[in-house]
Amino acid sequence: MIACGIDAGSRTMKVVLLDADTRQPVRALAADQQPRQAELASALYQRALGEAGLSRFEVAKTVATGYGRDLIVEADTAITEITCHARGVRSLLPAARTLVDIGGQDSKVIHLDAGGVRDFVLNDRCAAGTGRFLELVAQRLGLPLQDLGRAAGRASQPARITSMCAVFAETEIVSLLAQGAAVEDVAAGVLQAVADRVATLGSRGFAPPVVLTGGTALIAGMDQALARALGQELVLAPDPQLTAARGAALLACDWIRGTMLAADS
Amino acid sequence: MNESASSTPTCGGQRAPASPLAPTPEQRDGPAPLAHFAQMIDHCLDYATAAKAQGHPVVGIMCEYTPREVLLAAGAVPVCLCGGSAATIPAAEQSLPTNLCPLIKSTFGYHVQRSNPFLELADLVVAETTCDGKKKMFELMGLNRPMWILELPHKADTPAALDAWTAEVKKFAAHVEARFGVTLTVEKLRAAIQRMNRERDLRRRLAGLLARDPPPLTGRELLQFSSLISGMEADLVQYERAWRWYSARRGPPAAARAKPVRLLLTGVPTVHGAERVVEIIEASGAVVVCTENCTGLKPLLEDVDPQAADPLAAIARKYEHLPCSIRTVNRRRLETLRTLATAFQPQGVIELVWQGCLTYEVEAVTVQRFVETELKLPYLKLTTDYSPAEAERLRLRVEALVETVRRRWPAGGGGR
Repeated sequence: MIACGIDAGSRTMKVVLLDADTRQPVRALAADQQPRQAELASALYQRALGEAGLSRFEVAKTVATGYGRDLIVEADTAITEITCHARGVRSLLPAARTLVDIGGQDSKVIHLDAGGVRDFVLNDRCAAGTGRFLELVAQRLGLPLQDLGRAAGRASQPARITSMCAVFAETEIVSLLAQGAAVEDVAAGVLQAVADRVATLGSRGFAPPVVLTGGTALIAGMDQALARALGQELVLAPDPQLTAARGAALLACDWIRGTMLAADS
Repeated sequence: MNESASSTPTCGGQRAPASPLAPTPEQRDGPAPLAHFAQMIDHCLDYATAAKAQGHPVVGIMCEYTPREVLLAAGAVPVCLCGGSAATIPAAEQSLPTNLCPLIKSTFGYHVQRSNPFLELADLVVAETTCDGKKKMFELMGLNRPMWILELPHKADTPAALDAWTAEVKKFAAHVEARFGVTLTVEKLRAAIQRMNRERDLRRRLAGLLARDPPPLTGRELLQFSSLISGMEADLVQYERAWRWYSARRGPPAAARAKPVRLLLTGVPTVHGAERVVEIIEASGAVVVCTENCTGLKPLLEDVDPQAADPLAAIARKYEHLPCSIRTVNRRRLETLRTLATAFQPQGVIELVWQGCLTYEVEAVTVQRFVETELKLPYLKLTTDYSPAEAERLRLRVEALVETVRRRWPAGGGGR
């Protein structure tokens, strides 16, 4: 029996298939978002099943999450990415107390206790502190997104980005470049600015161990920048972009086993 | 649907026995009494227009601190002018900053556009020195409207504050007498006090029904039972009828399938037109069982002693006690939250803050600490404006809170 999680995020769609008995991953796929996200989810779901040699009749439950969670036709229920991230991290790193997710269009800090989510803080109003801001900056610097972190790693004197607004920060970057700042130094400054922004979400502190997740965690150096901003070490979630989809699939497992409170069913 | 399935409603063709239960309110007393309040604006407009034609002044009020009893005693019609519409905000932003709270901007937009019929009917607008945004907006409004500003002391619960406020209420009463050529006798004031006490009692009892588990009406339905004009006899009759109707009702409202999470809503008011946030909360698996704000229980909790020797002083005392975030230190708000949490047994607290409302935004830090450590309840702050585009952001947060309350996986960490 298979449990499926689909994370319809703002920038990427993720599908995770788990064996419902062993909770072991069967197949996981991710693809860039497109305007018709329900179709993308269906295609990705079919592809994951095909690559695993399964039919859709073997999928017992599917849980959708992410901002497009209510549009996914394959889903039996929708659960927020906050609960799904927490569930995904809990399975991989049971000791985790704080979860930082820097996603495509928002960032969040989730506090965990023994029973699950204790509370959470979201920033989805301000582009500074999101993956989208890093995309804009990479474009402005003429770099592919995945090279932004590598460039930052070569910085000799990281620039200081002082503006808290993504629009003004971009203006600031243009002016830094005009003054002759190195692309590497600007890249390092931008990673730090995003990390500093995320650190302001932790009004209640960041109880260790802190786990970093979300697609932005794939950018080299993002974890060190955040560690500097928080003044403590943090753990990088394995396959960070898949955490919420994996959590959704685990909640589907819980549902199959009857241990989830299926309030929506 | 399969035809044979739909044509066999009962097992083996047996008829269900007649219910031994008492008739439902629907059977006995007709449909839900929401119909009257669905026409609330029309009723208020008819009432205000007719009253004005008979020589009664219409007085616009901007805040719960305005002592309605004084206006009722003077034969005036007190009508609430707080704006709840996003549509009037662009007009306001031609002069007001965009980062001001939507309630102030919406109210001012109606003023600029001359599109609130009650404001256009008003012989006087009464406002208070509450938050800075309102205070300065009233100055602009006062350039071409008759205004009276009540000076509200900001330090709460001091003898000096009560003395100053009592003097301010008496000065206002004297102004009302002079302006409208009436005498506010003790009898008239006592009659007005009794009328407002009766209205508060009826609305309190109706709100109190949500302490039941499950509540017989939703928070959104309760919000419908309110009126821009206080003290209208037709409304009081309908409040009474609504209380009887819902009081006799058992079980959850028909629409509720899964048992919703009980939430207490605190913070800024959801004035007429801005009820959307309550709708979003209740569409996300929750029910707002109690509302601690100016459109909820806050102004209804305390009555005025109708027998007091000095009715104006008694009126002043009641209003001075209102726990608005512009007061410092606003301890009464925390006490109120504790009382309401005990009475209504919420499973979580949502604080609503209109974008740009500095006093509620900052006081939220205190409220969060109190809710989490004293009430031991999960707390969520929603900062938003009147824009409908905000719905998804809000829904995500409320759904996550609901999931947090329900704990999607078993306590103890769940399986790996």
